[in-house]
Amino acid sequence: MVGKGGAGKSVISGTMARVLARDGNRVLALDSDLLPGLSMSLGAGSDPTQPPLREAAEKDEDGRWRLKKGIGPVRAVKRYATDAPDGIRLLQCGKTPLEGMEPIMGSVNAFYRVVHRLAGARAFADWALVGDLPAGPRQVAFGWAPYADIFVAVVQPTAQSALAARRVARVARMREGARAVFVANRVTGPADVRHVEELVGESVLAAVPADEGVARAERLGIAPLDHAPASPAVAEIERLVAALAGS
Amino acid sequence: MKIAVAGKGGAGKTTVSGTVARALARAGHSVLALDADANPMLGVSLGVGPQQTELLLGVRQGVEAGEIEHEPTVEGMVERFGADAPDGVRLVVANRIETENPGCQCCGVSPDQLLRELEDGGRTVICDLEAGLGTVLRLAPGNADVVLVVANPTAKALEVARRAVAIADDKTEVIVLANRVRDEADLDAIRAVIPDRELIVIPEDATIASADRDGVAPIDLDPYSPGVKALVALADRLAGSPVPA
Repeated sequence: MVGKGGAGKSVISGTMARVLARDGNRVLALDSDLLPGLSMSLGAGSDPTQPPLREAAEKDEDGRWRLKKGIGPVRAVKRYATDAPDGIRLLQCGKTPLEGMEPIMGSVNAFYRVVHRLAGARAFADWALVGDLPAGPRQVAFGWAPYADIFVAVVQPTAQSALAARRVARVARMREGARAVFVANRVTGPADVRHVEELVGESVLAAVPADEGVARAERLGIAPLDHAPASPAVAEIERLVAALAGS
Repeated sequence: MKIAVAGKGGAGKTTVSGTVARALARAGHSVLALDADANPMLGVSLGVGPQQTELLLGVRQGVEAGEIEHEPTVEGMVERFGADAPDGVRLVVANRIETENPGCQCCGVSPDQLLRELEDGGRTVICDLEAGLGTVLRLAPGNADVVLVVANPTAKALEVARRAVAIADDKTEVIVLANRVRDEADLDAIRAVIPDRELIVIPEDATIASADRDGVAPIDLDPYSPGVKALVALADRLAGSPVPA
């Protein structure tokens, strides 16, 4: 999930992960954003103070971070992912602490290495991997989501949101074998959907409506799926999951 | 004076930066608007338009392409790669990420370096930071005279704002903006997470929403709408002198 900050990446990825899990998929949610977001939208509460993955990393003789011996993607997920509702496993790279990046550098490095081995790991071949990336094009450009078959660019009906989504989709499509699709979010009607499609220059795969239930969940920091399971926004994300599965 | 604007993505950093820059310029100040986001959008909020914003060259990319030789000063870079925005604001994009594997971001000209080395020299530098806390962590005392932390009444944006305030507090003056406030309950939600501080309230504003939708500067759409007025008043306060109507 990619796009401008505030476009709704965490809300859509968190809800999508829950929907996939309820449909019977094994789901690994991958949170590489250094800011809080995905855990709340999954309904797993606030983030742990220490990223669990830091235990998976050590420094080599030259002071460079590496995964500890014997820790591959399967073990990393087994040991260091945390539980989220509906049986989801959540792997996080860590959140920026007040005292600087140093305490989470091991975890960030471990995360980067683990995700690069996920796509090749047979144990995850039948899992659904849902990644919530931070705002902007940075992580897409530097290959933080090598597991992704599809980049979903979330767009609000604003000029800046569309500009950001176009830029990030353009970078994503430079990656071999990767597709990018656009999803409109917080639309108030067909005019908003048309506006988004005009701004990004192609049609959207889904259009998630502006939804008071989701807005309330966001103010409270809880999962839309728990707070407003019957809301139109959740229904459209269910439709999006089906569309992605069929594509 | 050097002002940096921080907060979660979507909190309203760019709207605040662009509108405060325009208001300062209208009041007669010389203003340099520095876009420090690798996903640069400040041109849109300044009123340059989305198409034109997309064409602005990043200083980093300009230097890499060899358009400046012999290690120029940051002033030289700003002179060479800046663009003119309405009301005489000078707009500079530090860096844009537009390709895969765009090279080590620690090497070469960085947004941090531009903010650090640009002298205010009688002008106001207003810097729209990249979303998140990394930029605030790297901010050294003296890099900015004031940090505007933009908060929204949502759990995620408040958590980011709370951390940004805690980090920046030790370094420089911090002003917290409560953006998109609809009612007293929204304000209470912000006060609960960021207590005992003055909050500059920017009310939820249909003009700003409409400007965002169309990619124009809010101050061009309606300089007297409640949200824009609050930002003009903030500019006035930052400048330390009344802004003429």
